[in-house]
Amino acid sequence: MRVMYCRPMFSAVAVLALWLAAGPVWAQTRAETLRYVTGASVNTLDPNVPGTTREAFAVSLGTYDRLVSFGRKQLNGRWVFDLDKITGELAESYDVSPDAMKITFHLRKDAKFQDGAPVTAEDVKWSLDRAVTAPVLGKAQLLTGSMTSADQFKVIDPLTFEVTLPKADKLALPNLATVYPIIINSKVAKANATAEDPWAIAWLKEHTAGSGAYIIESFKPGEQVVMKRNDAWNRGSPEKSAFFKRVIVQSVPEPATRANLVERGDADLVIDLQASDVQSLEGKGTLKVVSTPQYNAVTFISMNNQIPPFDNANVRRAIAYALPYDDMFKAALFGRGTPLFGAMWADGKPTTSAYPFQQPVKLDLDKAKEYLKAAGLPDGFSTTFSFNVGQASTAEPMSALVKESLAKIGIKVDIQKLPDAQMSTQINEKKLPFFTEGIVAWLPSTDYFYRNFYTGEQRWNYSSIKNTELTAIAQEARFEPDKAKYDEYGKKLNAIHFAEMPQIPLWQPNQDAVMATSIDGYTYQFHRQVDYRDLNRK
Amino acid sequence: MKSFGATMIWAGRRFLSSLPALFGVLVFTFLLMRVLPGDPAVFFASGPNAGKEEIAIIRKQMGLDKPVPTQLLLYLYDVGRGNLGRSIMTGQPVTTDLRDRLPASLELTFTALLIALVSAIPLGVVAALKSGSVIDHGVRLFCALGVCVPTFVSGLLLIYVFYYLLGVAPDPTGRLDVFTSLPPPRTGFLMIDFVLAGDIDGWWAAFRQLTLPAVTMALFVIAPLARITRASMLVSLGSDFVRTARSVGLSWWRIVVTYALRNAILPVITIAGIVFSTMLGANVLVEKVYSWPGVASYALDALLSSDYAPVQGFVLLMASVFVAVNLLVDILYGIADPRASMG
Repeated sequence: MRVMYCRPMFSAVAVLALWLAAGPVWAQTRAETLRYVTGASVNTLDPNVPGTTREAFAVSLGTYDRLVSFGRKQLNGRWVFDLDKITGELAESYDVSPDAMKITFHLRKDAKFQDGAPVTAEDVKWSLDRAVTAPVLGKAQLLTGSMTSADQFKVIDPLTFEVTLPKADKLALPNLATVYPIIINSKVAKANATAEDPWAIAWLKEHTAGSGAYIIESFKPGEQVVMKRNDAWNRGSPEKSAFFKRVIVQSVPEPATRANLVERGDADLVIDLQASDVQSLEGKGTLKVVSTPQYNAVTFISMNNQIPPFDNANVRRAIAYALPYDDMFKAALFGRGTPLFGAMWADGKPTTSAYPFQQPVKLDLDKAKEYLKAAGLPDGFSTTFSFNVGQASTAEPMSALVKESLAKIGIKVDIQKLPDAQMSTQINEKKLPFFTEGIVAWLPSTDYFYRNFYTGEQRWNYSSIKNTELTAIAQEARFEPDKAKYDEYGKKLNAIHFAEMPQIPLWQPNQDAVMATSIDGYTYQFHRQVDYRDLNRK
Repeated sequence: MKSFGATMIWAGRRFLSSLPALFGVLVFTFLLMRVLPGDPAVFFASGPNAGKEEIAIIRKQMGLDKPVPTQLLLYLYDVGRGNLGRSIMTGQPVTTDLRDRLPASLELTFTALLIALVSAIPLGVVAALKSGSVIDHGVRLFCALGVCVPTFVSGLLLIYVFYYLLGVAPDPTGRLDVFTSLPPPRTGFLMIDFVLAGDIDGWWAAFRQLTLPAVTMALFVIAPLARITRASMLVSLGSDFVRTARSVGLSWWRIVVTYALRNAILPVITIAGIVFSTMLGANVLVEKVYSWPGVASYALDALLSSDYAPVQGFVLLMASVFVAVNLLVDILYGIADPRASMG
C-alpha cells in the first residue's frame, strides 16, 4: 500500500531528471567565447554617465579606445597594470615638451571607428572637450590631471593633437589612460545630439560609437552584455586583434552560483567570489586562481575626527592599539590580502614614502588603556560602529571582533548595519562617528591619496581630518618634479598620519580572479575589473 | 449565475472602486521613499572622483532639487501619462524595465503555482481521505519541510544536486542559456514565444531553465494549499450531502471529486489568489538564486540603492496585480459557487 502511494512521487522525480538530462548543443565557438559572470551589472555603455557601475567601466574599455593606456608589469609573479609605463592606444606616439607643459599626440594612421570612418584629431578634440565640459564623470577625473577647459585641447592636423597644461603635472598623461576620456566618433555622436543634449549623453548611454576591440551585440541592462570582436582593431600590445571572438558579460547575483558555474566550467572567469569559496576552489586545484593584492585600494576603520570623543587623538590611538588585527584579518578575509598593520619602524619613523603603508600598530590593550587615560576617558565610552550591507560578508565578522575587543578597554560598541545608500548619505553628511569603509585610487601616488582622502570638506575625507600641515605638504608634493624631494614629502605625510591616526588602515584585500585553467593573460587593472582584451585561451 | 455581461459590468465597477486605493498606494510609496534616510544622489555619485558637482547633477536628473510637493505633482502628472520615471540603476525608463521583467516573473510564478496546485490538491485530498494515517503524517511532514526550508536554501540545494552533482539541469542563470538565441518577442513569455516562433529546441532550452526555479518556488507554497485542501475536504467529507451520496451508492470518484472536492475548492481558490500575489512580489530570493531577471529582484536592488522610481513603479505594479487577482478570484468564486453573490 505504501509503495503504491510512493510510486507517483518517484516517477515524477524520474521524469524531472529525464527532462533535464538532455544536454545542450554547444556552439562550436565555445572555445573562442569568453563567458564572464559577475554579481554586479552593466548599466550604461558610456562610462561617463553619473551612476555608472564598475562593470560598465570594463565594457567601455573593450568598446572604446583612449589615446594612451597603461602597460603591465610582473608583481610577485602576477601581471598588474604599470602606472609608470604609458603606451599608445589610439596615439602611435606622444612627445612631452621639455617644460612638461605640452603633450603632443601622433595618432595611428590605420585607426578606424567601428563604422569604418578614420579616427581623426577632430574626434579626439570633441571627445576630450566633452569630458571636461559636459556634465559627466570625466570632468572631476581630468581635473586631477590639470585638464579643465576645452581651450587646452588643440588640433594641429588630422593626425596630430596637442594638450596644453597650465602647470607641469605628472598626472596629466596617466589621466588620459583612465576609464573616462574615451575617444568617440564625433560625427555619429553629433548626429544623435539634441539641443538640450549637445554632447549626446542620452544616446551614447545606449549606443556605442567607438573604435574599440569589441562591438556590442546585445545590451540588456542588469542582465547581460554580449560583444563580438572587432577584427580590424590592432591596438593590443602585439599589434593584433583581441583573442576572444565573443565576450559574454552576465550578471549572476548569487555568489554561490557563480562559484558553481566556474567550477563546472560553464563560466570562464569570475572575480567577485566570497573569500571562503575562493579558498575551497583553490584547494580543489582544478581551476586557476590569481590573487592580486589590490595595491591601489585600502580598507579602513575610520573615525570622524570632528565628533567627540574621536576629536581627541589619544582616543584614536587607543582604538588603534585595541583592535585584534590578526583575528580580524582571518575572520574577514581568510587572510587573503596584504596587512597594513604590524610594521616595525626601528627609529619610530616611516620607512616608506608610498601610501598605503604598513603602520607599526598591533593589539596592545595596556597601551590602549594608557591612551584612553591620557584622553581623560579611563572608563571608556559608548559609540556605534557602522558598515554597509554590501560589505556584510567581510564587515560583519570583523565588527563583532571590534566590539568584543573594545569592550575590554571599556568602550561599548553598538553595531549598525546600514543599506548602502544610507551609509553613503551619512558619510557624505559626516554623521557617522566610527565605521569601516574602503577607498581606491586609479592613479595611486602618495600625494593623490592624501589630497583626495585626507583633505577638504568632501565625502572621501572619511575621517574629516583638518590638518593644515598635511594639506600643504600634499599640495606641494603634487607638482614636485624631484624624486628625492617627493619621497621626503611622502615620508612626512606618512609620519603625520601615524601621529594623528585620523583613521586606521587595516589591509588591502586581494582581487581573487578564479578562471578555467585554459584562460591566460589575466591582468589586475587600476579599475579593478577585467580588461577582456588582455585575455586569451591556451 | 448572472449573465456574462452583468459579470463584466460588476467587475468593471469593482475595478473602479479600487482606484482610490491604488492612488493612495502611489502617494504613500512616494512619500515613504523620500522619508527613508538614504540619498540616491550620493549613492550613485560614487565614482572615485565624484564630488558635490556630480551629486548635484544626479539630484537634478532625478528631479530631487525641487521641493517634495512639486516632485509629487510632477510624478503624478507623469504617471497619468504612463511614464513611471527612469531608473538610475539600469539607466532605462521604469516602464521598459517592468515590461521586460514582468513576463519573466509571471511565467515563473504561473508555472510554480501550477506545479503547486497540481501537487497540493491531490496531496490534500489524499491526506483528508486517509486522515490520521501514515500518509496524512507524511504529507504533513512534507508540507512542514517545504515551508520551513527558506527558498534560497531549497534553491541552492536543488542547484547543488541537479546542476552541480548530477549535471542534468542547465546552469542556473536566467531564463535562457546564453548560447541560445531569443525568439522574436511577442508576449514576453518565452514558453509561448518559442511556440509561436516554431522553435522547439529553444522552447526546450527555456523549459529546462524554468523547471528548477519553478519547483523551488512551488515547494514553498505547496504547504498552505495542501493544508487548506485537506481541512476543507475534511469538512465536506463529513457533511450531510456526502453521507447521502454514499448512502445512495454513488461511485467513489463521483463522491470525492464531484461532490466533496467541488465544495471544498472555494477556500483553495481564495488562498491560491493570495499565494499568487505574494509569490510574485516575494520570490526575490528565488530570482536572486537563479539570476532570474524578474521584477522582485529588480525592486530589491532599487531599494538598496534608494533608486526611487523603480521602487515606486514596482509597488504600483504589485498593487495593480493584487487588485486584478482579487477580482479574478471573485469571478472564479462565482463560477465555483453559484450562491456567491456579486453585489
